Amino acid sequence: MNKKTLILGIGNYLLQDEGIGIHIIHILEKERLPSHISLLDGGTSGLHLLSWLQDYERIILIDATLDNNPPGTIQLIYPHHAKDFPPLMSAHEIGLQDMIEAMILTEHLPEIQLITISVQNINDIGLDLTPSIKASIPKVIHLIKQLVDDKSHKKRLSTVK
Amino acid sequence: MVQRIVIDPLTRIEGHLRIEADIQNGKVIDAHSSGTMVRGIEKIVKDRDPRDVWAFVGRVCGVCTSIHSLCSVRAVENAYQIVIPPNAQLVRNIMEAVLYMHDHVVHFYQLHALDWVDVVSALKADPVATSALAQKQSPWPKSSVGYFKALKERLIRFVGSEQLGIFANGYWGHPGYKLTPEQNLIAVAHYLEALEWQKEVVKVQTVFGGKNPHPNYLVGGMACSIDLQEANAINTERLNLVKQKLQNAKAFIEQVYIPDLLMIAEVYKEEWSLIGGGVSNYLTYGDFPLFEYGDTNNYKMPRGVVLNRDLSTIYPINATSPEEIKEYIYHSWYTYKQGNKVGLHPYNGETILNYTGPRPPYSHLDLNDKYSWIKTPRWKERPMEVGPLARLIVAYAAGVEPQKTLITDTLKQLELPITALFSTLGRTVARGLESKLVANWALEFYEQLIQNLKNGDSRMVNHYLWEKENKPKSVRGFGLTEAPRGALAHFIVIEDNRVKNYQMIVPTTWNASPRDEKGILSAFESALIGTPIYDPKQPLEILRTIHSFDPCLACAVHLYDTERRSIHQITVEN
Repeated sequence: MNKKTLILGIGNYLLQDEGIGIHIIHILEKERLPSHISLLDGGTSGLHLLSWLQDYERIILIDATLDNNPPGTIQLIYPHHAKDFPPLMSAHEIGLQDMIEAMILTEHLPEIQLITISVQNINDIGLDLTPSIKASIPKVIHLIKQLVDDKSHKKRLSTVK
Repeated sequence: MVQRIVIDPLTRIEGHLRIEADIQNGKVIDAHSSGTMVRGIEKIVKDRDPRDVWAFVGRVCGVCTSIHSLCSVRAVENAYQIVIPPNAQLVRNIMEAVLYMHDHVVHFYQLHALDWVDVVSALKADPVATSALAQKQSPWPKSSVGYFKALKERLIRFVGSEQLGIFANGYWGHPGYKLTPEQNLIAVAHYLEALEWQKEVVKVQTVFGGKNPHPNYLVGGMACSIDLQEANAINTERLNLVKQKLQNAKAFIEQVYIPDLLMIAEVYKEEWSLIGGGVSNYLTYGDFPLFEYGDTNNYKMPRGVVLNRDLSTIYPINATSPEEIKEYIYHSWYTYKQGNKVGLHPYNGETILNYTGPRPPYSHLDLNDKYSWIKTPRWKERPMEVGPLARLIVAYAAGVEPQKTLITDTLKQLELPITALFSTLGRTVARGLESKLVANWALEFYEQLIQNLKNGDSRMVNHYLWEKENKPKSVRGFGLTEAPRGALAHFIVIEDNRVKNYQMIVPTTWNASPRDEKGILSAFESALIGTPIYDPKQPLEILRTIHSFDPCLACAVHLYDTERRSIHQITVEN
C-alpha cells in the first residue's frame, strides 16, 4: 500500500537560493509521478498549509537552510520534533515551525522527510539560482524519486555527497 | 537609573522586529523599533509586464498572501482606468473577507492570546467549573466536562514532555497574568480549536483563486469562471461549499472568538484600556467596495483620517498628492539622491540600500543615526496608526453603520468610555469586532454573487488590457487596500508597457517605522511610552502592546542579515 504523499516545497521564490524548494516543485511538475504523490508549491506560507499537510500520511518537505555547510549540500532528515529542524530562514521561518508544532499539538503529525539544501546567501533578490545550488537540483530530484519508490521509510539521518 | 531592554527578535510575528526600550522607575521612557530585514521587491518587478506583477508581489508575505496581489491588480487597473465586472468585485471581496477572518482569528489565538493567557495556569483548572463557565459564556457546543478534562490531560502530557513548542517562549507565572485557571483552560481549548478552524476557512481561496497559498488574481477581473450548472466551472456544488465555510467561520467568530475576547477584556480592562494609546492619529484607505473600486463613497469600510483622537472631524485622503504621503529615511538604512532629509511620494520613491549599522552580531544599534530597514511614512507630516482600530475609529467618527452601533454596544457591555478605544486593549477589541462585521459581510457578498448569477450575469473579466491595441504606453496608478493589519498602498509607474517604478507602503511601515528627523515617534515607539514594566527580564507588557498591532515584518522589510538567525535574545542593561 503506497502512502498518500505530499511533496511540499517551501521558500521565497523572490530571494534566489532561498526559493530552491519552489524551483524543485516547478521541475517535478513536468515529471511523471505515481498517483499517490501530490505536489505543492507552499511559497512562504505557514499556518495556511496545515489543512493540506494533515490530509497526507507522508510529507516530503524541501527547503533551503543556512547551516554553514558548503552551498549545495543536501541533507535528508527525519525530524520527530520541531526542534529537530535545522535553522530555516527568512520570512517563512516562524510560520513553518509554528505549523510543525501545531501538528504535534493537535496530535496529527504526518511522517515527515525533510530535504534541506544548504545555501550561503539570502541577501540577494532575484529569480535565478546561483550555480552551486542549480547544480544540486538533479541530486535532489534523484533523492526525491528514491524516497518516493522506497516503501520502507527507515528512520535515518544521512548526508548526500 | 535608566535600564535598557532589547528584545530581538520579538517572537510570534512574521519577520524580524527588534525593540529597544529604556526603563526608568518601572516605566518605559523611550523606545526604538527596528526592522532588521530589508525588502527589495521593488527591484524584482522593474521592467516587467504590469499584468504579471501581482504574481510576484503575492510572494512577499506568507501571512497576507493575497492582499498584495489584490493591491497590485488595483494599481494596474487604476493606471489603465479599467473597471472590473461586479462579480469580480464580489469574488475579490469574499476572498479578502476570508483573509480577514483567517488573519484576525489566527492573530488573536496563535499570536496574541498567550500575552493574556497563562498556559501553565490552565493545568490547575477544574474541568467541571470550566465547563460551567464556558456554557455560561457561549452556546458553543464543545463545552462538556469530558471535553475539558481530556484537554487538560493532553496539555499535562504535552507540557510534561518538555516539548513546549509553541508555548516555549511564554512568561508563565508572571503576575501580569490575571485570568483564573478555568478561564485559561477555555482559552487554550479555543487556541487548539482555532488551529483546526483556520484549516477550513482558507479553502474558499482555492475555489475562487485556483490555489492557496498565493491564489490567482487577474488584471481586469478574476481568473475563475462560474456557471451554476457546468461540471467543469465553479458550479452550485462548489458555491455551496463556499457558503458552508463562510457560515462555519461566522459561527466560530460569534460563539468562540467574541466571548473569549470579552472575557479577556473584562479581566484586563482597568489597566489596559489606559496603556498603549500611541500616536493618536488614525488613517485608513477604506475597503470592501460595494460597487466600483473608484466609488469610494460606497465602501463598507470608509476612508479617512482622524487626528488627535478628535472624533468630530474626518479628513479626506488624496494618496496621489505629493504633499500628503511622503516617506522619509532619516533613521532608515537608505539613501535618497536629494539627501537625507527630504520626503518622497511613492511615485518618485527610491530604493537605494545604505546599511550603516554595526556588523552583526551586535549588541547596540546607533539610535541617533540610522537604525532600521523600515522607512518612515508620514501623512501631511504626521505619524499615523493603521489597522483595525484605525478603521473602526474612522467609521465611528463618520457615523457609519453597523460599525458605530457595534462599538457603542460593546463599550456599554464592558462599561468603558469611548476613550478606552485609544489603547492596547482597544486595538485588540477592535480586531475582534471587525471580524464579526466581516463574517456577516462575506455572506452578503456571497448572496449578491448568487443573485447576479441567477439573473444571468456571469461576467468575470474586463478584457480591455488583454487586447494589445488598447494599451497606452506610459501611465501610472495606485492601488489602495486595507490589509487585515492596516492600510496598504501600491504605486506603479509604467513606461512603454513596462514597470518603471514600483513602490509599496505596507501597514507595518506606518506602525513600526523609526522616528522622523524632528524626533516625532511612530506608532510602536509612541505606544510603548509610559508602559509599566513589572520585570525587565520578562517584558510581557511590551509584547502585549506591540502584538496588539498585529505586526508583520515580512513585507515591511524582507531579508535579514545572515549572522543572526532565530536567536531570541532579551538583554537587560543597567
